[in-house]
Amino acid sequence: MANKESASSKTAHRFQRRGFSYERLIKYFFASNAGLTIVILVLIIVFLLKEGLGFFPGYRRELETYRIAGLEFVDISRKNLTSHEQLTSLLNRAYFAEINGKAMREMRRFQEASALFNAYSDQTGPTRDLILNNPQSDAGGNSGMLAVLRENYEKQKQKALGLLPATPHLTTDERNQLVSSLRARAPETTEDPPLVVSLTENYTAAQAKFSEPLKDFRATIDSFGAAGSDLGTVITEMTESVTATKEKLQSADIIAKDRETLLAAANNAKNPAERERLLVDANAAIAEKPDVEGPMQLLMNRREDCIRLHQQLEKSVGEILPAIPQSLSQPEANRILRAAHKSWPVFIADLKAAPEKIKIWNHTDPVPLSDAITSFFTGKDWVTGGEWQDFYGILPLAIGSLMIAVVALVIAIPVGIGSAIYVNQFAGNREQNIVKPVIEFIQAIPSVVLGFLGILVFGTILREISVMDSFQWVPGFPIEERLNIFTAGCLLALMSIPTIFSLAEDALNNVPSAYAEASEALGASRVQTTFRVMIPAAFSGILAAVLLGLGRVIGETMVVLLVAGNRIKIPDFTAGIGSFFQPAHTLTGIIAQELGEVPLGSVHYRALFIVGIVLFVVVLGINASAHHFVNRVRK
Amino acid sequence: MFNPESIIRKGRPKGYLRETLVRSFLRGITYLIVIIALMIFGKILIDGAPAIFTSKFPFVDIEFLTAKNETLHVFDDAQGTRHQLPASKYSDYVNAHAGATLYNEQTFSYSGGGIAGPIVGTALLTIGSMILALFFGVSAAIYLAEYAKQSPFIHAVRLAILNLAGIPSIVFGLFGFSVFVLAVPIITNTPSDRSMLTIPLMVGNYVLSFQGWNSSLIAGCATLACMILPVIITASEESLRAVPQGFRDASLAMGGTRWQTIRKCVLPYSLPGILTSSLLAIARVAGETAPIMFTAAVAAKDDLPWQGLSNPFGVLSSQVQALPYHIYTLAARIPNSEYTERAQYGSVFVFLVLVASLSFGSMILRAKLRKKLKW
Repeated sequence: MANKESASSKTAHRFQRRGFSYERLIKYFFASNAGLTIVILVLIIVFLLKEGLGFFPGYRRELETYRIAGLEFVDISRKNLTSHEQLTSLLNRAYFAEINGKAMREMRRFQEASALFNAYSDQTGPTRDLILNNPQSDAGGNSGMLAVLRENYEKQKQKALGLLPATPHLTTDERNQLVSSLRARAPETTEDPPLVVSLTENYTAAQAKFSEPLKDFRATIDSFGAAGSDLGTVITEMTESVTATKEKLQSADIIAKDRETLLAAANNAKNPAERERLLVDANAAIAEKPDVEGPMQLLMNRREDCIRLHQQLEKSVGEILPAIPQSLSQPEANRILRAAHKSWPVFIADLKAAPEKIKIWNHTDPVPLSDAITSFFTGKDWVTGGEWQDFYGILPLAIGSLMIAVVALVIAIPVGIGSAIYVNQFAGNREQNIVKPVIEFIQAIPSVVLGFLGILVFGTILREISVMDSFQWVPGFPIEERLNIFTAGCLLALMSIPTIFSLAEDALNNVPSAYAEASEALGASRVQTTFRVMIPAAFSGILAAVLLGLGRVIGETMVVLLVAGNRIKIPDFTAGIGSFFQPAHTLTGIIAQELGEVPLGSVHYRALFIVGIVLFVVVLGINASAHHFVNRVRK
Repeated sequence: MFNPESIIRKGRPKGYLRETLVRSFLRGITYLIVIIALMIFGKILIDGAPAIFTSKFPFVDIEFLTAKNETLHVFDDAQGTRHQLPASKYSDYVNAHAGATLYNEQTFSYSGGGIAGPIVGTALLTIGSMILALFFGVSAAIYLAEYAKQSPFIHAVRLAILNLAGIPSIVFGLFGFSVFVLAVPIITNTPSDRSMLTIPLMVGNYVLSFQGWNSSLIAGCATLACMILPVIITASEESLRAVPQGFRDASLAMGGTRWQTIRKCVLPYSLPGILTSSLLAIARVAGETAPIMFTAAVAAKDDLPWQGLSNPFGVLSSQVQALPYHIYTLAARIPNSEYTERAQYGSVFVFLVLVASLSFGSMILRAKLRKKLKW
C-alpha cells in the first residue's frame, strides 16, 4: 500500500491532496462511463434470466395440471383423430384438385368473369345501395336528389369500367359482351350478367362430368371420413368432463396463491388490526382440495371404449386403404395424393401404438422439470390463450426464423458478394462513387418502411405473378397467402445485402495489393486474379460478412412481424420447395406481437422472455464466430 | 478504349468471352441492387408526394404535418357526395346537419387528421436518447482513446461493446421493458404493489421504490440510448484517435494536464467527426420500432406530449406516439383501402425523407470532413 502511494506521488501534481486529485477524479469518471457498457450487458443478461427462468417451473405446473385433470389422456386419442381428419382433408383436396385440374379452363373462365363482375359491384355497390334505400325512391317522385344519385351511379360505373381486371382466359368477344352488359346495367338489376351465369353453369357441368369417373374414390373418402366419427363422439364427451376438472384445479391454484399473498401482507402489516383482518381473510381462503379422483374414475371407465374404438378405426382404415388409387392424372392432385400415401404408415403406426399408451397412462405419474424443458425446446405447438391447454413449443417459431433466413441468405449471399467483387475489382472510380453510396443508402431505410412496402406492394406483385400461366412451373405457385416466408425472405435479403456488401468489400480491400500485382505479373487476367487469388485470400473476411448478415437477418423484427404472415405452425413440408411460400411466425415476431398483450408474470409472459434468451444466445453465437474469422484475418 | 494488347496481338485474347460474361454478370447483379433501391425510393416518393404536396401555395400540406392524428370517417350524404372527415370535423358536421341520414358510413382508425403527434414523439425520443447516448458514449470513448492501457477491464469493455452491438433490437425491447419500465427506482410516496424493493427515505413518507418508470418517454429514451451506445462509442473513439498524437504531446509539453489536453486540444478537433457519425446514429434511432413498442410508444393519443401537464417534467413520464410505430399500426392493424392511403404513404414519405436526409447529410459531411481535416 505504502509502496503504491509513493509510486503515484512521483507523477502527481504537487498540490495534490493525498491520492485524490481532480485529475484522477476525471479519469475515474470516464472509466466509470466505459464500465457502463459492461453494466448494461450484465443487466440485460440478469433481467432476461430473472424474468425468464420462472417459466420452467410454471410450465411444469401447467403440464402437471394437464396430466392430473386428464387432458393428456384425451389428447392421446385426439391426436389420432386430428391426423385422421388431416388425412381426410388431404384426400378431399386431392379429389378436388383432380376435378379442378381437368376442368381448369372452365374454372379459370368462371373465376375471371366473376372477378370482373365483383370488381364492378365493389365500385358501384355503395351508390347502388343508396339509390335502392333512398326514401325518395319509394315516393316515386323523380326528385332532384335521385337524379343526382343516378348521375353518381353512372360516374361510378364509368370509373369501375376503367379499372376492370385482366381476363386472359376469356375471348375478346366474351369480354366485350360482359362489359357491355355491365355498361347497360341499371342499379335495380339483381341477377348476375348472362355470361357469368352461363360460365357458372359450364363450370358446374364440367365438375359433374369429371367427377363421374371418380365416383369410387369419392365413396372411399366418405367412408374413410365416417370411420372416425365414433371416436370423435367419445372424445367430445370426455373433453367436457376433463375441462371442468381443470378449471377446478386452476381456481384452487389461484386461491392458494391469493392466500400466500395475504399471509405475506399480514406479516408486513404495521398495525395489529389490519394484520388481524388480513389473517382472517387468509384463513378464509383455504381452498378445498378439488376432487380429482371421482372424474378420473369416470374417465378411466372410458379406457376400454377408447381402446376398442382405436382398434376398430385401425381395422376399417386397413380395409379402406387398398381402395385408394395410387396415382391420379393431374400433377397437383398427384402430389397431394403422394403426400397422403407418405403419411399412411405413420398414421397406422400411431393407431397401433395408441391402445398401449392408453393402457399404461396414469394421472399420478410425476411431471419432472426436465419434461417442461424438453417440451419447450422440442415442442411442435405454440398454442396460447386457448380454452383447452397452452403449449409453449419453440420449434414452429425457430423453423420459421430459419426458413426465412435461408431464403434471405440464398438471395443475399450471391448478390451481396457479387456486387462487392464487382465494385472492388472491376468498377472504375466514378462507378464506385455512385454504387457504394446507393447500397449504403439501403441500410438507412428503416425496417418498418420495408415491411410496409412488403405488405402493400411486394406481396401483391408476388401474388399477381404467381397466378400467371407462364409461372405455373414454379413449385408452390399459385401462392395461397400474399404474406409468406418467401416475401419476408426477399425483404430481409435486401436488408442484409448492404451489411454483406460493405464487409465483403472491406475484406477484399484488406488483401495486400502485392497479391494481385504478383498474379497479374504472371500473366493472369483480371477475372483469374479475382477468383483464384483475391477471393481465397479474403475468404475469412467474406465468411465473417455472411455470418454478420445472418445475425442481422435472425434478429430483425419489424419486417418479419409485418410480412411473414404470422401463422404459428410448422410449414407443411409435403409441398417441397413450395413450403417456402407458406406463412410462418418467427422468434422475434412472436415477442413483438404478444408481449404487449400478456399479463405480467404469467407463464406466457415468461415464455416470451425465454424466447428472447434463445434469440440472444443464437445471435451472440453467430456474431462471436464472425469476429473469430475477422480476427484470424488480422493475424 | 485503347487496349495495349492490340499492339502485339490482333483479335481477341483467349477466354475473352468468358471474362466479359463474368464481368457483365457481376455488373448486372450490382446494378440490379441499385435499381431496386431506386425503385423503392421512387415508389414512396411518387405515392407519398400527393399526400404532402398541394398545388396551391405554400405547396406543402401543412395540415398533414401539424394536425393531430384522428379517426377518419367516410360517408355519403343524402345527395350521394362522399365526405372524408377526421373525427373532430365529423362531429361538427353531424351537429350542423342534425337529423340528416348518412349512408355507407365507414371509419378508419388512425387515418384522419395529420401526423403531428408521431413527428413530435419521434423527435423527443431521438433527442432524449441522443443526449443520453452522446454523454455516456463520448465519455466512454475518451477513456478508451485517451486513458486506457491494456488491462483486463479494457478487454472486458471492448468485449461488452462488441456484444452489445450485435444484440437484436427486440431483445433491447425486452430489456427496456423489464428494466426501465418495471424495475428502475423512483422516488414516490405511493409505492406500487409490484415494486421489487422499497427503501424508506427520511423525508416525509417518501420511499425509493424499484417499480420502474412505466411505459414513458424516458424509458424509451433510455432503451434506445443503450441500443445505440456501442455505435456512438466506436465512432467517437475513431474520431478521437484520428487527432494526431503531436497535438497531445505539444499540450503536455507545455505543462497542460491530461484533462486540459483533452478539453482544449483533442475534443475540439474530434467534435466534428463525432457529430457527423452520430447523425447516422440518429437515423438509426429514429427508425427503430422494436425497442419502443413496449417502452414508450402508444398507437393513439389525443394530446401532444406536453399538453395537459402540471409540471414540465411530466413530459418525460408520458407515453408518446412515434412515426415508425405509427407506420406499423397503419400497415398492420387497419384494413387497407383507398381512404387510408393518404395517411399510410404520407407518413412513410415523411419518415423516409427524414431518415434519408439525416443519413445523406452524414455522408456529405463525412466527405467534406475528410477533405478539410488533413493533418
